[in-house]
Amino acid sequence: MATDSDKKPLPAFDIVSTYRRILNDDPELTMPVAAIEALVEAIAQSSVSTVAETLDLLERHTAALKASIANPISLSAGTDLFQRYLITTLNRPASLNLGPDDDFRAIRNHLLSNGKLFVERAKQSREKIASFGKHFIRDGAVVLTNGGSRVVGALLRRAAESSTIRFKVIYVLPPSSSSDSNEGHQTVADLRAHNVPVAAINDSAVAYSLGKVDMVIVGAEGVVENGGIISRMGTYQMGLLAKSKGKPFYVVAESHKFVRLYPLSQFDLPIEQKVLDFKVTDDAKAKTKSGEQKDAVDEGIADMNTKPKKCLGLEAHDAVDFTPPDLISGIITESGVLTPSAVSEELIKIWF
Amino acid sequence: MAQSTTIQAPGLSSYLKSLKTTPVDPSVEHLISLLKRRQIRNSRPCAIATTALLLRVVGEFKGRDAAKLVERIRQVGRRLTSAQPREVVVGNIVRRVLGLVREVVDDQADGQTPTGSEPGHSTPHAHHDSLHRPAFASSMSTFSPLRHAGAEPSHIGVSADNMSDSGELSRRPALLTSHTSYAPAAVAGLVVNSLFGLFSQPADTPSATSTPTGQASPTGKSTLTALNLERLADLSKSQPNLDLKGEVMEGIRELQDELETSDKQIAEVALEHIHANEIILTHTASTTVQKFLLFAARKRKFTVVHAETYPHDHAATHGILLTGKKRESRPGEDDEDDKWKPLTDAGIQVYVIPDSHVFAIMSRVNKVILATHTVLANGGLVAAAGAHMIAKAAKEHQTPVVVLSGVYKLSPVYPFDIDELIEHGDAGSVVPYEDGEFVDKVDVEAPLYDYVPADLVDLYITNLGGHAPSYLYRIVADHYRSEDITL
Amino acid sequence: MSETPAPESVATPPVASEQTQNNPPATTNGDATNATKKISPAELKKQKQAEKQARRAQAKGPGGAEDQQQASTKDGQKQQKDSKQAPKDDKSRPMPARRKPSQSNVPATKEAKKEPSKEPKKVGLFFGHLYSQPKQQSMKGASKDVHPAVSALGLQYSSYAICGSTARMVAMLLAFKAVIASYQTPPGTSLARHLTNHHLSPQIEYLKSCRPLSISMGNAIRWLKDIIIKIDPSTPENEAKRDLLEEIDIFIRERVTAADKLICELATKKIEPGDVVLTYAASSIVEQAILHAHKAGINFSVIVVDSKPLFEGKTLARKLANQGISVQYYLITGASHAVKDATKVFLGAHAMMSNGRLYSRVGTAVVSMLASAHSLPVIVLCQSVKFTEKVALDSIVGNEVAPAEEILSEAERQELLPLKSLLPSNSAKNDDKTAPEEAKPDTTDVLKWIDDSKNLNFLQVLYDVTPAHYINMVITEYGSLPPSSVPVVHRLSTNT
Repeated sequence: MATDSDKKPLPAFDIVSTYRRILNDDPELTMPVAAIEALVEAIAQSSVSTVAETLDLLERHTAALKASIANPISLSAGTDLFQRYLITTLNRPASLNLGPDDDFRAIRNHLLSNGKLFVERAKQSREKIASFGKHFIRDGAVVLTNGGSRVVGALLRRAAESSTIRFKVIYVLPPSSSSDSNEGHQTVADLRAHNVPVAAINDSAVAYSLGKVDMVIVGAEGVVENGGIISRMGTYQMGLLAKSKGKPFYVVAESHKFVRLYPLSQFDLPIEQKVLDFKVTDDAKAKTKSGEQKDAVDEGIADMNTKPKKCLGLEAHDAVDFTPPDLISGIITESGVLTPSAVSEELIKIWF
Repeated sequence: MAQSTTIQAPGLSSYLKSLKTTPVDPSVEHLISLLKRRQIRNSRPCAIATTALLLRVVGEFKGRDAAKLVERIRQVGRRLTSAQPREVVVGNIVRRVLGLVREVVDDQADGQTPTGSEPGHSTPHAHHDSLHRPAFASSMSTFSPLRHAGAEPSHIGVSADNMSDSGELSRRPALLTSHTSYAPAAVAGLVVNSLFGLFSQPADTPSATSTPTGQASPTGKSTLTALNLERLADLSKSQPNLDLKGEVMEGIRELQDELETSDKQIAEVALEHIHANEIILTHTASTTVQKFLLFAARKRKFTVVHAETYPHDHAATHGILLTGKKRESRPGEDDEDDKWKPLTDAGIQVYVIPDSHVFAIMSRVNKVILATHTVLANGGLVAAAGAHMIAKAAKEHQTPVVVLSGVYKLSPVYPFDIDELIEHGDAGSVVPYEDGEFVDKVDVEAPLYDYVPADLVDLYITNLGGHAPSYLYRIVADHYRSEDITL
Repeated sequence: MSETPAPESVATPPVASEQTQNNPPATTNGDATNATKKISPAELKKQKQAEKQARRAQAKGPGGAEDQQQASTKDGQKQQKDSKQAPKDDKSRPMPARRKPSQSNVPATKEAKKEPSKEPKKVGLFFGHLYSQPKQQSMKGASKDVHPAVSALGLQYSSYAICGSTARMVAMLLAFKAVIASYQTPPGTSLARHLTNHHLSPQIEYLKSCRPLSISMGNAIRWLKDIIIKIDPSTPENEAKRDLLEEIDIFIRERVTAADKLICELATKKIEPGDVVLTYAASSIVEQAILHAHKAGINFSVIVVDSKPLFEGKTLARKLANQGISVQYYLITGASHAVKDATKVFLGAHAMMSNGRLYSRVGTAVVSMLASAHSLPVIVLCQSVKFTEKVALDSIVGNEVAPAEEILSEAERQELLPLKSLLPSNSAKNDDKTAPEEAKPDTTDVLKWIDDSKNLNFLQVLYDVTPAHYINMVITEYGSLPPSSVPVVHRLSTNT
């Protein structure tokens, strides 16, 4: 069956623009899901008919996609998962209880016909997390959070809607210029509308405020293999501060953000970030840079920014950092609260 | 068999005796009242009583419908847990028994031809998350035991609305009304991955617990994924030959054995953890700990520093050190195997210290061994008051903290609200009642338990061996079915 | 003995050296418990030999000299640990109220008898070096040299009737006033030379034998000796005595009464409306501060954490509650719950060590650890008279051992009585109790069981050492300082 599908036409399908379009069309989408969507469309547009072809196609599109954006970590969680899923299912046709001939087509059909469902499912995950995770917020609690994570926002909103919980929020807001800020401001506005007192603070005020805080909840761009997270710049320092003050530090992330990556330190991420930019006075930009750096701390849940840049390095305000697992009390996913060690188990299970 | 371990509470042994002659329903009531009046308390007696009762319940159960049996056990379990929500172990046992039923059914289903791939067979809403990953289940209960306290028979308490959107509650009606479908856990060697949940069809009933990987497609078309391995067995029909009751009862008896032998099993690894001339700090009159130390004492000489756990457990502590028995036990009620000599007779130097000395003495201690009341899925534990300061002081001195716990104390409950789990005792034990004036004017607090967060614990030793606190989620997942986390 | 004095003398040369001289004679005299002490210089012997003889005879009665000897060989010298330090200290009125909960008198005598036999056994792992001599439990041991006021005081010490570092010091100074007032310089010597060595020392030794001296007492004694030695020999005796008495009064006024006031003022400023102040056991200065703040109209509540066996906090809680303050009362096992509700921690001190560590009632370290883990500010209220140049790393090297029997209150012993039939050694015991079944239950039996149980030991010390990093602030009459500045203030206060 593998005969006629030509690989040449493939480039005609622009995976990158598809991806961007999907993201733009639905601001609720996260990067990994958008990436999966785009890949499904790619498959739909192609005429591949064998496993090998499909995987090959996927690989090329994934590579193109990753190359197109500065911070592919979150995105790669989606593409990797998708790829792994295909491999697992395609290699085990028996598990489908289908005839051996049908399996590939069945899967393809399933993928194509249910593409939208993935999106639904992903959004559902967020709702699930929100409804489940809100139990973490106890009556009278003060919650510290940051950034423009939509899951966190959903969780807080859900908690706010519940009449039985009264709580306060300290929100570390990104500066208004950043792409994140809309989400953050929106969340703050919503919470306030629900009579939840919100204090918006600058990231530099985190340590100052921590004494009043009962728990920290943050979002994540990717959850890595050791149970740590990649998240917007500033999360790591929040984690450190929370740990030093003995405050529980929870991460909220859908499980499709689990990514096969094992960073050892901040500088062991597979992306290039222009955060540390050493300069001397001569450099005219010295001044600007300091301003930028400030932004850096405030920005960055990358899963929502559709960065048009193709630049090699990540600009400071989109930068991310790595929060190691020992700072994390628990990861709230749509399927429960995982300890960081459980993340590793989940990833091991799909990759080995 | 169970009687043999009736150490702590007279209430337990009399209950077990009465259980033989009393019909089931009064027995349930009886246990509920004993629990409420705290005549049976502490993990082990509660576990023993619950197991014995459930054995009866299953034994008396009429019919072969597994779903009904599950519902029956659940119903008893719910009443028991709400009678004394802080005895988490009661709920653990109920869940274990429920798991047994499901396992029996699953095993049976496995042996048959997969009939279940025709999805039309059962009503769509019955296909809930059957392939749900235990791993995830482990840590995800929204169940908060105390919330049930207010409304015993039904869940419609204050919290019902909170909980319902978690999907756990909303799922229950499905269980009640339909033939529950069971899926073999991790069937046929194919590991179903929850991370793939995204690719499966959306659940009909949004279920918080699940990443419903193996859903039967409601449309009846070919099911979506290779992951769909479940055989949707309509139990009452498809397993006519199943000796459900017998197998479940067999399982419960094994559970009873486990309860009985867990101390011994834990003790048997003692030599791996205690070396010669160590100085060990412990607290409370825990049988588990005493047996552990005694076992080590057979071969090694070491020193024990014992915090007396005033005011709630000191009498028993002193008693156990003097005589090897707790105060409540009466001669004649003890079977052979609970007779053990006090540690001191084994040649172990024991130093009793008041609880306030913990920090002062910690710099000389090599290892801290804690008894526990309940272990929670996140690796934290609930133990006698004072445990937290001991563990914390140990941490400050870089002294390893070892927690001994039977697996039956491991609870799938996620501690959202720790304070709910802490029982407060009688102020009279803190300030004698004669001092009524004092009690009137001063707010006397007597917490019975402490919550010890996981990061203060270095090692758990259960009857299955030693585990890092970070691995407990897996042990929990292995012992409880996700469906049962919310009773 | 020789070892301990040495470091001191280095630290505070004039005073300490003086003291070293003094100590040995004192010891011999004073104590009934002779054995522990090294023997005194010759002068001593001269002194009233007959009396001594008599005394010794007495002494053997309660204490059992031989046993003590054993004990002392094991580790004899801890009692002096407290005795050096020269500064002043003080505290105004004694806090009389702490009593041992259960055993008032009856057990006490029995214990005294038992002690000797027990001591050797208990001298064990941890605090072996601290068991020197049993506490003086009765007046029998007091030498004739001992002034009645002092011997009465000694009893109050050993029964914890007067308890608390400052209270003990003030009571001691007041007793010394009586001693000085009735003092007559023997012919051929001068007051400055004779009073300290030959008259005060026996008193001090006696007090020491009742309970080891507190840091503040040591400081006060050093100060007093310093004053005495500086008296011009030409001063008429009456005048000198009058001056001395005045000095003592001034000392108490300045170092205790006035200091307390200052500290209260400072502490009150740190209490804000809505605060929940947690304190452990009882400290007179904390009590004063809380009451002061309450009178100032600040609306706050208090959590008292307490522990056995002294239950000092209960008295404090009662006093505060009687003043209309809302008080929560926890035992130390509940401390981790108590800190959750608290916003600030105020602690009293037995002493502040020069390495910034706090030496205070055992359990303080636990409470401050938990509080510090909860990010609660931990504030120590401490008069500078309690500062010492000594340092400590842990609570084991230097401490005060309390009789193990005190761990078990009467009520607890009662609770244990039913165990008799279960005792493993029951059969062996039968000789003791002729009719084991029906012998009237006697709570002291419980102690006996413990005593007879070969490997079972009860350990009890009175203090522990809290690491400096748990402490946010030390409030003294000089102001508020970080624990690291303790030695600075100590120098300041001893030099002026």
